[in-house]
Amino acid sequence: MELLLAILPPLLFYIIFNLCKLGYQKRDQRCYMLSYQCHKAPEDQRLDTGSCANIVARNKNLGIEEYRFLLKTMVSSGIGEETYCPKNVIDGREESPTHMDAVSEMDGIIFPTLDKLFAKTGVSPSEIDIIVSSVSLISPAPSLTARVMNRYRMREDVKAFNLSGMGCSASVVAVDLVKQLFRTCKNSLAIVVSTESMGPNWYSGKDKSMMLSNILFRTGGCSMLLTNNRALKHKALLELTCSVRTHIGSDDEAYRSCIQVEDDLGHKGFRLTRDLPKAGAKALTMNLRVLLPKVLPPLELLRYQITYYRNKIMGRSIPKGAGPGLDLRSGIDHFCVHPGGRAIIDEVGKSLALSDHELEPARMALYRFGNTSSGGLWYVLGYMEAKKRLKKGDKILMISLGAGFKCNNCVWKVLKDLDDPNVWQDCIDDYPPKTTGNPFSEKFDWINDGSLDLATREDYLPLLSKYSNC
Amino acid sequence: MPPTLPDFSSSVKLKYVKLGYQYLVNHILYLLMIPVMVGVLIEVLRLGPDEILSLWRSLHFDLVQILCSSFLIIFIATVYFMSKPRTIYLVDYACYKPPVTCRVPFSTFMEHSRLILKDKPKSVEFQMRILERSGLGEETCLPPAIHYIPPKPTMEAARGEAELVIFSVMDSLFKKTGLKPKDIDILIVNCSLFSPTPSLSAMVINKYKLRSNIKSFNLSGMGCSAGLISIDLARDLLQVHPNSNAVVVSTEIITPNYYQGNERAMLLPNCLFRMGGAAILLSNRRSHRRLAKYRLVHVVRTHKGADDKAYRCVYEEEDREGKVGINLSKDLMAIAGEALKSNITTIGPLVLPASEQLLFLLTLIGRKIFNPKWKPYIPDFKQAFEHFCIHAGGRAVIDELQKNLQLSAEHVEASRMTLHRFGNTSSSSLWYEIGYIEAKGRMRRGDRVWQIAFGSGFKCNSAVWKCNRTIKKPTDSPWADCIDRYPVHIPEVVKL
Repeated sequence: MELLLAILPPLLFYIIFNLCKLGYQKRDQRCYMLSYQCHKAPEDQRLDTGSCANIVARNKNLGIEEYRFLLKTMVSSGIGEETYCPKNVIDGREESPTHMDAVSEMDGIIFPTLDKLFAKTGVSPSEIDIIVSSVSLISPAPSLTARVMNRYRMREDVKAFNLSGMGCSASVVAVDLVKQLFRTCKNSLAIVVSTESMGPNWYSGKDKSMMLSNILFRTGGCSMLLTNNRALKHKALLELTCSVRTHIGSDDEAYRSCIQVEDDLGHKGFRLTRDLPKAGAKALTMNLRVLLPKVLPPLELLRYQITYYRNKIMGRSIPKGAGPGLDLRSGIDHFCVHPGGRAIIDEVGKSLALSDHELEPARMALYRFGNTSSGGLWYVLGYMEAKKRLKKGDKILMISLGAGFKCNNCVWKVLKDLDDPNVWQDCIDDYPPKTTGNPFSEKFDWINDGSLDLATREDYLPLLSKYSNC
Repeated sequence: MPPTLPDFSSSVKLKYVKLGYQYLVNHILYLLMIPVMVGVLIEVLRLGPDEILSLWRSLHFDLVQILCSSFLIIFIATVYFMSKPRTIYLVDYACYKPPVTCRVPFSTFMEHSRLILKDKPKSVEFQMRILERSGLGEETCLPPAIHYIPPKPTMEAARGEAELVIFSVMDSLFKKTGLKPKDIDILIVNCSLFSPTPSLSAMVINKYKLRSNIKSFNLSGMGCSAGLISIDLARDLLQVHPNSNAVVVSTEIITPNYYQGNERAMLLPNCLFRMGGAAILLSNRRSHRRLAKYRLVHVVRTHKGADDKAYRCVYEEEDREGKVGINLSKDLMAIAGEALKSNITTIGPLVLPASEQLLFLLTLIGRKIFNPKWKPYIPDFKQAFEHFCIHAGGRAVIDELQKNLQLSAEHVEASRMTLHRFGNTSSSSLWYEIGYIEAKGRMRRGDRVWQIAFGSGFKCNSAVWKCNRTIKKPTDSPWADCIDRYPVHIPEVVKL
């Protein structure tokens, strides 16, 4: 009895100490999104498949085989007639972009979105404490964050980080960075700017593995305002529950599956190899293995373990196409897949056993805006919001894949019913369209005709311009 | 000439008065504590042991009171320990020593310049004048691609330079610290003017097969002060992740940025920027407490981007012929001075001893109330730091800072000698400078080091380190084979 009385106080104190420690650590771990603003380029930058064909036709390096390949890709890309491309490409200067073009393209995307963001939330630029920009293909001096700080006259002690080269998943990397900075900076406001520089990166060579970027990548971007100030929780749209980053750069094939190189003629472009889907699948699996236990209810995890061991003992193999085996919908309500291309969305949908309804936002974002690289996820989120799918308490899983090879996923919790149509305002009622078929296939199918096998540029160029203009 | 306080500082008697004043103000707490302690001691001795025991017994404790007060003590202790930021240790760092084959002595540089710019003799002469007054030596290095006439700045060559610099500096770091690649938790790479996709951090992860849950960041475009920005980021991340390692790689890849036009303001970087890189291992593990070389005390970042003139003073743009280069404006020095003042205003109260702060405050009050014509008191930073590492951006930068901070020639020796031996290696130059001080055997335990760097934007960042253990002259530093020749006298103008 005496012994018990002697042991009890220290034990109690130890428990209390640990509880206090835990409580203290959990403070200020919240990351709220106050608002996000996607970019919609002006109408004079619109690019339909006809204009795209014209631009491609300007490239003197291409022969009939390359055109056939491009036609096939354009038809199956899942990209519609209303995407946007950089001004210098529209103006015919895609082969000789100037530094001014590149930088003004960035200004043209970043500044309008930030202006709208500040106007929407009523936050003044001088209240911002952290700014992170994540643009892969350009890093001018002074940096993009410095450009923003100069334009909006931000304070001297702002923490600015300019991430570069991190691929299509850079947006989630930036949000993850802000979440970690929030642990040391109390009650702060952060801006994340996520876009891609397309102007100086139009590929003008003839290497087939490098031409895909011209077909898929389009202009777009997004700016977000985040905070960890609990007083602003009532204004917040989303709360970041968790984020997990996985990097499989240690695998050589994965690292080289998506790499920026110069081809034999010296043209810079993106080489995408056949190992890309495999790398994506591997990275996604590794990531979900860490992420899902954090977001799914324990009961579901238990059920999965039991089923797994039962199958193992009985020697039964899991049927193909059954998905991950876990019921993702027990913890996740919406799936925000990176609109990297039709193949990627289909692959992810297949491996996670997602329905067409769940993949619709990603497919529609790809159709309407194209692959806008790191800003793409936010167009998908915008679609879901415009379609009034996001209700309070819903959980959204954002999946992004990027060069390196990385898979960065995060889970957001919706804090109130969202219904702002944002960039989808003028067209949401027309979506999903009856058909997402590409009119290119009818107009240009003649190019697959065997009689053109030995045709030269002079032969098919007039035909090309005739059909693309009607 | 405005009336100032008479210049007493030359008087020997007043030197002792100043020392006495500093000692008094800096140790005021101890000096006040002593009489209080003595008083208590006398009182206790007077009372005698019996009375003390009876005093103790008269205090009644019951269980509830004990529990509540213990709970309170534990709670306060937890809050105190939790709110204390984790100590960040710099375990070790490695600097890149370029191969001798990459050397660019003055003669090579001028010959290349004459061949490449053969139609523009005025530009050639301009480059020669810059080189004469630059403070660079004959052993600085340029990457292999730039040795071609004309230079071949392909992406392949840029990647090649990145691999050469970064991999050798990482190998060196692994050897020095015994770190295994799989143990790295955080990787931050900063390189301003070259950012391929996948990033340089992905390149490192691929080469060394680092873990898949590594937190990697690739900072770009942030200028010569990006090294300290990376350290700041590493510090914030290490606060969040206990028991972790962070590797910071700072470099500048010169290959794609060699200016091939003939606009004068843009030819300047060609003359000054040279190949170099550094890798730094930071940790918050307790086990590194004895091994670590330095402890990070403060990092202060100041950004003057809101001011248009400051923003434009280091600007990448195209010249009239469409060639891209970095335009350095003429008021660079003035703007650097302003940025430094802002930075000092923030860092001063954190590092200056109380005596200096009091003097500054008194002169400030005096200027506001009594006589605005009093000269503003510039705090003596030599009281706060033993070593200064000023980014070797160019001779003018070092001269300006020496003047502003009133430093002696010995204080700026590390910066000048780094500029002479390695040139302006951008963000990694600060590490070469620390390497110089260590190689000279001047780094003692308890010494405080102040690193200052400037960058495009316009930024001024500074970091304060405290030496954890006296450092013996390292045998594997890039200075090992030439430290005995230093310091050299660098004339104002080297006749070419």
